[in-house]
Order: sequence, then structure tokens, then C-alpha cells
Amino acid sequence: MVNWSVQLQDLGCIYGPNDHASADETGPLFGTNVSETYDSVVACWDVNLHASPGEALGVIGESGSGKSTVMRCIAGDQKPTKGDLRLVSVEGGQRNIFEMDDSARRALRIDQLAVVYQDPSEGLDLKISAGGNIAERLTAAGWRNFKDIRDRATELLHRTEVPLNRMDDPVQTFSGGMRQRVQLAKALANKPPVLILDEPTTGLDASVAAGVLDLIRGLLDETGIAAVVVSHDFNVVEMLTRRCMVMHHGRTVEVGLTDQLLEDPQHPYSQKLVAAARG
Amino acid sequence: MKAMTIKDVISVQRNRNQIMDEHTKREIRRAVLTAVAVPGYQVPFGSREMPVSRGWGSGGLQITVAVVGKESVLKVYDQGEDGGVNAANLRRLIRNSEGVKTTTDARKADVIQTRHRVPEDELQENQILVLQVPVPEPLREVERDMNELRRMHAEADYAKIWVSLYEDIVHNGVVMKTTGYPCLIDGRYIIATTPIPRWDVPKLHQAPFLALYGAGREKRIYAVPPYTDVEPLTFDDVPFQVEEVNAVCRSCGCSGMKTDGGEAGYLVELPQQDGSSQWVCSDTDWCNRQLNTYLPEDQDFKAGELW
Amino acid sequence: MDTPLLRICDLRKSFTLHAVDGRLIEGLNGVDLDIYEGEHVALAGTSGAGKSTLLRCIYRTYLSDSGSIEFNVGMGYELTALTDDQIADLREHEIGYVSQFLRAEPRRGVKDIVIKSALKEGIDEAVADEMAAAILTELNIDESLWGTYPTLLSGGEKQRVNLAAGIVVAPTLLLLDEPVSALDPRNREAVLQVIQRLVEGNTTVLSVFHDLDAMFRLADRVAVLSNGKVIDQGHPDVVINRSLETVAP
Repeated sequence: MVNWSVQLQDLGCIYGPNDHASADETGPLFGTNVSETYDSVVACWDVNLHASPGEALGVIGESGSGKSTVMRCIAGDQKPTKGDLRLVSVEGGQRNIFEMDDSARRALRIDQLAVVYQDPSEGLDLKISAGGNIAERLTAAGWRNFKDIRDRATELLHRTEVPLNRMDDPVQTFSGGMRQRVQLAKALANKPPVLILDEPTTGLDASVAAGVLDLIRGLLDETGIAAVVVSHDFNVVEMLTRRCMVMHHGRTVEVGLTDQLLEDPQHPYSQKLVAAARG
Repeated sequence: MKAMTIKDVISVQRNRNQIMDEHTKREIRRAVLTAVAVPGYQVPFGSREMPVSRGWGSGGLQITVAVVGKESVLKVYDQGEDGGVNAANLRRLIRNSEGVKTTTDARKADVIQTRHRVPEDELQENQILVLQVPVPEPLREVERDMNELRRMHAEADYAKIWVSLYEDIVHNGVVMKTTGYPCLIDGRYIIATTPIPRWDVPKLHQAPFLALYGAGREKRIYAVPPYTDVEPLTFDDVPFQVEEVNAVCRSCGCSGMKTDGGEAGYLVELPQQDGSSQWVCSDTDWCNRQLNTYLPEDQDFKAGELW
Repeated sequence: MDTPLLRICDLRKSFTLHAVDGRLIEGLNGVDLDIYEGEHVALAGTSGAGKSTLLRCIYRTYLSDSGSIEFNVGMGYELTALTDDQIADLREHEIGYVSQFLRAEPRRGVKDIVIKSALKEGIDEAVADEMAAAILTELNIDESLWGTYPTLLSGGEKQRVNLAAGIVVAPTLLLLDEPVSALDPRNREAVLQVIQRLVEGNTTVLSVFHDLDAMFRLADRVAVLSNGKVIDQGHPDVVINRSLETVAP
């Protein structure tokens, strides 16, 4: 019996000619992701992580750190060069998700793994209504009763604090913060055990972002979902996560309890990052 | 029956009215067999140039020509009318090409080619219904990308069309589709039953006859074998409704409401000069028989010169 | 009982500031301390002596460099050797840490925060509700504030809410970092009484106070830190009088 909900081991993703040797000349020690010899970019290498039910793991780093690549590989939007990904809800964690074919991976996105994207238009169909976006997930999972679908959509939108009188409005008429809430509602529609959040509040006004973070924190507490929160913002990570890993030039430079990482960072890069954030 | 020789195939056609060579017929029959083997799956086929333009029933025509034999009895009708120009044209083309007998009585036909209607008569096991299809893709309104469409059918990922039904009900109270209502075939593929009215959709479910759908311009053939589930897409708690009109046919007097005890037929509206409406059965041959003023059973319809 | 609940041996912690040419700041220079179950031990010493550092090393907010921290609960744990997950588990139920700084909290009413704390321990909802009400009342948080978001509270109110959430279901070991620093006399009194009640109920407390009177009243033992080492320990009466200069902040 494993005690994690999602486990990633040895993830590597190279853009360009994917000779594994290119990893040997990239990373924090070399100060770059780019391999001159092989003309490739080692977006991430040797990345491991896991999250348990009810736990949120933070993945923090600046642009180019590789955190977005990690997120896209887990989500299935990007093919990795190497790696092993498991979900406890899929064959008890015995199956490497990366070895599944595309349609099996897509099926996971119905009710095993949900993603909230930084740009809501990536996770939503803007032309259809808020309720319709949720209905899309529910019908994909086999829901066929109109009232049940509507009730569940109402419940989710209520929980994510979307005004119910806008439930039937097309999402393109919503503000950014409201779109994120709809995206959250949709992600939770089929009660997935694992949720990935990619920069959930980037681009939102401060007050709007605070509200969305509060909401996410509340939802994580309630649902017992295992979450991976990718962000460059320490406030987000501090608010939402229990453990955190710092990425730099495609590698993990430090992993620890979030409060420990923020108050006693060990790695020089982590210290720099925390100092810059905390001022 | 003796096997075809090379000579038969390459010899000059003795019948200059033949609109399809034997090879093509075989190719189309193969496509039809594939379609029957995978109910609801749209089989691509090499759609030939036909003496009717694209959009005028060339798909249905190709299927009919491929499946009839010299002994077959054919009915061709359009929107319930056997006498319309297009139906007459197609019927003449096929008869001259294949030498089939023709009839207007759906009960007597082996093969019925139709546009827009399914016969009001209950068809039997030995009958084939060939439907003319303009747009075979049921998901066309919710997705344009061909690769994505293929994937959706392959993975039975029909969420998008369910969402469009949801949106329809939310915004309009009902599903708005009047013709070509999407149906789930054998629990697997969704097809466009285009372009028959909703009235006709229930006739397809577990029907004893074979239904073949041909789209010439789009180059697709699909089929619903006998005794196959045909379920119009709807939510469990939103019953599929057919068009009903609270009127009777001015010719035969049958009702436009299925719920009544007696015979009911799909009625079409005839606006009158004074602004009112009269209604008449769409299926003219069936209507004539309801009147019992039609020819007795043992007499055949006699074709006039231009028929 | 012979075995202390918490045994700290030669604990060392220093901070390397990589951004400042790798300058080393010393925190703990070999702390030895035993704490027995049901005791209240107060840490005393000047600012910078290492009191908060010690609490945080136990709670693992700081990673100690060397030494050991034995936590003899259940099968016994060597805290310095546990994984992040294992520490996180212990923090859920066994070791609590209450500081004067409220950790980022969502917009959630004060009472809900305390209830959530109790629910985490597996307490039934109805019971959690009662317990939250009880502890908030005990700490003088007026009922009218129970639905208020903590961000809108005063420093003293936040401090007491923090405490309420941390002790509604008392952990085995409670680490208190300046629990009364921002409080007026009346509220300070309420907090001290609550801490007293906890210790009487066999919660083990390790606290940092800059408040002599509180230490005197509540602590079974005082441990004096100076320059990252325990230089003296014993009954408050004895120790406080003995080294008043070093104790006074």
C-alpha cells in the first residue's frame, strides 16, 4: 500500500535531439539549460516529487526553471524524454502513466487528474456557459440526467463563489478571476484525487488573487485532494502548500517543508529567491 | 450464375445507360459491408461522379445502384412524394441503368431510396432503406477539425455534443434540432440521422430492416443493421419528443398526433390564401392508401410516358 | 518515568548566508536538554541566545546541523532523521507550535479556523463546534468576533486565535513562542490560565517567555540559554534569582 496519491520519479524532458548525455552539461552547476554540444534544451532532468491525499506540494522557480515543463508532463500536455509517473488511483500505483497510450492518458483527465491552467482559456471553452463547461466533464464521465448535471454544476459554482445568476452566461463574458473560479469548479467536477494548479493566480489583480487563493486553500482542505501547485510566487506557495521544491535550470535544488524552506533555506539559490521575495 | 470473366469487365457496356461499372459496385458494396459490420461508423469510400450533382442524392444513388439486382423492386421518393422532379429523375436513372421494376408502394419495394422521410409503413426484414445524406458528421457543429473529429469518434469522446444539448435545453428549454437528430447506434457511434424529421427517428430503433446512409459529396457511407439500438441523444429526464401537430390530414383524415389511438402520420402544412393552415400527410402514397380509394392490392401502378 | 518525552543532545545549528560571502551565523552551539512528560519548561535568555531557534529546530522549521532530538512518543522518533512527510505527520497530532505570528489564513471566520483544527484530529463536527466555542471563550475572544476574518483582528486577538487553534485539541508536545507578548493584562491572564490547565492535563509544554512573572508562575523548570548553549536549569525560584542579569531581556 503506498501512501502517496501521485508520484513522479526521474522525470527528464529534452527539447531537441534528446541524447541523455546533454543533461551532463546543463543544470545549476553550469548555469544553463542549453546544451551546446547537442543543440538541445534540457528543460528538466532528474525531477522527483510526490503528494499525499490532502497535501499540497509546491513547485517553485523562476522562468526557465523547468517547473512548467514538469507540470505539462504530469498533465499529459507534453511528452517526457524519460520518467515514471504513477497515480495511486490507477492500478494502485503499479502502472507508469507515461507508458500509457494517448487515449488512455486522455481518459485519466476525466476523473483521475485535473489541471487548472494559468490561462483559463486553456482549460475552458469560452464560447459555452459556465454550467456548460462543467457539464462537459460530467457528461464525459457518463452523467446523463439533466437535473443531476445542473444540480452538480450549481453546487460547484456555488462552492467556487461564482454568482449563480451567471451560470448560463458564456464564459467569455467573465472577468479573469471569475474564469479561474469556473476553471476550478470544472476541474473538481468529477472529484479527481489529484489536482495540478499552474500559476493559479498569476495575472489576476491582488485582491482577486487573494480571494482565489483562499478558495483553493479551502477546497484543498475539504476535499482531501493531493495537489501540485506550480508557482513563482512565494505567497501562493506559503498559503497553499505543506512541502515545496525549488527548481533552477531544470533541476531540483532543494526540497523541504514549506515553512522550513521559507525560514531556513539551505541552497544558495533558494536563499536568493526567498530573500528577493521577502524583501 | 456464371462467374464474371475479364472479358465481361472490359467489354464495352452494352447498356449505354449504365451509370456505374461492376467494379465500382463491388467497391461500394464492400464499403456497405464494412458499415454494416461496424454500425454507425462512417466508412470513407471513393465517391464517383454521378449523373446527378453533388448535393442531389449522389450518395444514396451510388448505394442503391450497387445493391439492387435485376429482380429488385425499387421505390424512390423525396419528402414523402414519389412524383417530385428529383425522385422521378433518380428513379428513371436507376431503372434505365439496372433494369429494376419500380413502385410507389413501400410495402412492395425491396429497396427504398429516400430523402427526408422514413416510410410510414412498417418495413420488413427483407427490405433496405437507402437514405440520402448531405452532412454525415453529427459533430460538425461542435468541432471543425477533421483529426479531432476522428479522434472523438474513435475514443467515443462525445462530450462536446452532450454539452451542445445541455446548452440548448438551458437556453431554449428544449433541444432545438428538428432534422438530423443525433442518435447513438448500438451504444457506440453517434450518427446524424439527417435529414429525417424527429417523427421518423423512433422507427429506426430495433427495426427489422437494413438502413444504409450515403453521402456522395462527403464520401461517407454508414449503416444501421436490422435489430440495432438507435437511441436519440437526450438526457434521462428530458424525453425525446417528436413533432406533433394538433390537426388531421385533409385527405385521409389521419391524425398528426402519435398519442391518439388511430393511425397517425407526419403532416406538412399548406398555408391557405386566407391565412389559415391546412395539413396533409407528407407520405403521399401511404396517405392515398389510408383513404382506401387507391388501387386494390392486385393491381400495379401504370407508369405514364414521363414517369 | 525515566525516559524524557524529549531528549535533546548536543544540538547545533548555524546559518550560512550565501549571499553575504557565505557568512556563518551561529544559533545553537550544543544544546543538551531533557523534557519530561507533563512538564512545563520555560526557556530563558537574552535576545539572540537561541530560544526561538531551539523551538524551531524541534518543530523542524529550521534544519539543525548536528546533534539529536529524541521524541519518545509511541515507538520513539529521532526528529533530525525523519523525512518531511514524517515530520508533517507528527506536526498534525503530536507536536504543536504556536507563535505570535499568524500563518497565512484564508478568509475564514475565527471560529471556523479553530473548528478546522479540531476536525483534523478526527473530532466529530458537533463536538468540535463546542470545543471551539469553549476555548475561544476561555481566551476572551468575544462571540461577536467568531465570524470575523483574522486579518481584521488586532495583534493580541490574532495571537489568542492562533493559540486557540493550536490547543483546541492539545498536542502531546506544545511549543509556545512568546504567547503573551502582545496582550494586555486581562487577556494575558486568560492565556496563562489556559496554559496552566493544559499542563495540569498532562500536555508537555516548552515555552519561550520574556515575561518573568509568567515563567515564575507556570514553569516547572527554567532552562537558561546563552550563546546557543544551556548554561543553567532548575526550578524557577532558584534559577531566576541566581542569574537575573542574563535572564532580563
